[in-house]
Amino acid sequence: MSEVESKQAQPMLSLRDIRKSYVMGDQVVNALDGVDIDIYPGEFVAIMGPSGSGKSTLMHIIGCLDAPSSGSYLLDGIEVAEMDDYELANVRNKKIGFVFQGFNLLARTSAQQNVELPLVYGRRKDRAERAIAALEKVGLGNRLDHKPNQLSGGQQQRVAIARALASDPLIILADEPTGNLASLQSEEIMQIFQELNDEGITIVMVTHEPDIGKHCKRTVTIKDGRLLRDELVENRVMAADVLVEMRQEHDLLHTA
Amino acid sequence: MNIFECMRVAIRGLISNKMRTMLTMLGIIIGVAVTILVVAIGEGASARVQQTVADLGTNLLTIWNGPPSMHIAPAAALAASSGTSATSSNGVPVPPQAPNRLTLQQAEFIQQNFKQTVAAVSPIIRGNVQIRMGGTNATTNLQGVETTYPFVNNASVELGSFFTQSDVDGNAKVCVVGETVVNNMTGSPYTNVLGRSIYINKQEFKILGVLTPKGTGAWGQDQDDVILCPITTAMHRILHRNLTVDFMGVRCTSVKMMPLATQQIASYLRVEHHLQPPFPQNDDFEIHSATEILQRQQSITGTMTTLLSIVAVISLVVGGIGIMNIMLVSVTERTREIGIRKAIGATPRDILLQFLIESSTISLLGGIIGIALGVTGAVILAKVGGWNVIVDPSSVVAALVVSAGVGVFFGIYPASKAAGLHPIEALRFE
Repeated sequence: MSEVESKQAQPMLSLRDIRKSYVMGDQVVNALDGVDIDIYPGEFVAIMGPSGSGKSTLMHIIGCLDAPSSGSYLLDGIEVAEMDDYELANVRNKKIGFVFQGFNLLARTSAQQNVELPLVYGRRKDRAERAIAALEKVGLGNRLDHKPNQLSGGQQQRVAIARALASDPLIILADEPTGNLASLQSEEIMQIFQELNDEGITIVMVTHEPDIGKHCKRTVTIKDGRLLRDELVENRVMAADVLVEMRQEHDLLHTA
Repeated sequence: MNIFECMRVAIRGLISNKMRTMLTMLGIIIGVAVTILVVAIGEGASARVQQTVADLGTNLLTIWNGPPSMHIAPAAALAASSGTSATSSNGVPVPPQAPNRLTLQQAEFIQQNFKQTVAAVSPIIRGNVQIRMGGTNATTNLQGVETTYPFVNNASVELGSFFTQSDVDGNAKVCVVGETVVNNMTGSPYTNVLGRSIYINKQEFKILGVLTPKGTGAWGQDQDDVILCPITTAMHRILHRNLTVDFMGVRCTSVKMMPLATQQIASYLRVEHHLQPPFPQNDDFEIHSATEILQRQQSITGTMTTLLSIVAVISLVVGGIGIMNIMLVSVTERTREIGIRKAIGATPRDILLQFLIESSTISLLGGIIGIALGVTGAVILAKVGGWNVIVDPSSVVAALVVSAGVGVFFGIYPASKAAGLHPIEALRFE
């Protein structure tokens, strides 16, 4: 981490003593119990942990979908923890791009229109050009008019990535982006993320799969609402290499 | 998200649920269609009555037989006077014989003695008769009238001439026919029937003239389905009544003179009929002015319009509740969609606007369909039923505004429910 810190002095995200508690019946559950994280521009971070560890709650707070019970969260130098619904909506629209496990595209709506949606809410004028450019970037330039039900799971997730990219956010947040996908499609999605990261886009992803975590540059492990480990990835897996292997195996299977 | 974007999304949603949208709109459609139709009929009716009164002139008085309590409604009576068949066709029974009837002599007396106030008197006797011409039979309304009839009743002869005083004096078998009679007898309203014979209750009459058409009267009756003949001929040869008349029209010298004329005629008739006070309770006749009839008709129309408007408003409210119901279902169904929209930056206001536009699009669309139906209904009533209907543009605009307003009002609760959803809970919703 010191290596990363030396490159960039100013963190893009800075969480300090973030706590979140819910009341479940007569019990108070501390989903997050004092978490400190700094994320710098250009990073590719995996937030890992077993289910119930609080990683999703952390993701929601980072994504401004939920407010922490206490603590400080600076996004791009601005305190987010005390924003109202309108300011949060604006931050989600302009600074954050979401990718969900279940894709969460609007049904009966074309790929291009799905990608344009954040631009519509952002009142952008050039939304068609931006949406087309984003879809071309994820390799779906020829599927602009396809509805979600006409696309495979991997393609739907690529539309979702294009939607996250469309408004040029500071950071892309992905919540189990490969959770609903087969291994080949998972690798394809990870390849896209790695390429985007190589272009300088900051990515934070939640996953419980260690294999997927290996594709990132840094893993943060959460357990019981606390930070357990925060380490750089050694022997990083490059999706492009895995895909070459997988395709060779596939070809072998079929020629045999 | 701008309004047009919202509208496009809304309409797309509505199209993908055609049946549901249709049923939701039904309440609004019925409410608006009824409103448009009722207003059109009301406007048409009062315009027609106004026209009739204007045609007759405001200085016209009519004198009727019978005690007020047993007397037929003046509206129905005027309808009958201006052309159609029996009073009972209006569903109002003919009253039993009143002790005193208006007579030809009384009409003559009023004509001769109140010159200052009365310009002319037109006594009328009427009855249903069988007519035949060539091989064609029909029933029509025969009115026995004096030569004052055209002047008092604003009638004129289009072809030929009206009968003269000598025809009246001589019980002549001559008549003037309405256009509908010509049409019924010859198959065309334009046939030249002047000088031809027509059999009225098997007696041969000569046709002297054809009346200028008056069209449909204030109560929807055909004013041209009528035969006029000298009042003496009608009394002695056809209807066999001795000198009593059914009613008389009195053309006053001016509108100002009407109260005095009414008073003079009433006093005269009270003496003539040997009536005892109190008056007017013991009067066995009634005197009405055209304006009075107009006012009465307008108050009837007004009451009807109010009643039907209440029905329309109830229908709109029920329709609005239907919209609210379906919008609540829609919000629940689309919780996840709302979550997605919020996650990518829709503000509560964006969501609120989207659902409000959706609900007002439903009701506005319903309103437009309702207007179309209402106007179509009005046109059909006018074409097929011969009703006089006037579709007032301001009622169309009002219907549009009200239906959009219903959508907004009943959309507020579901829309604010959607706007207030928490993004994460909405996204987790299955």
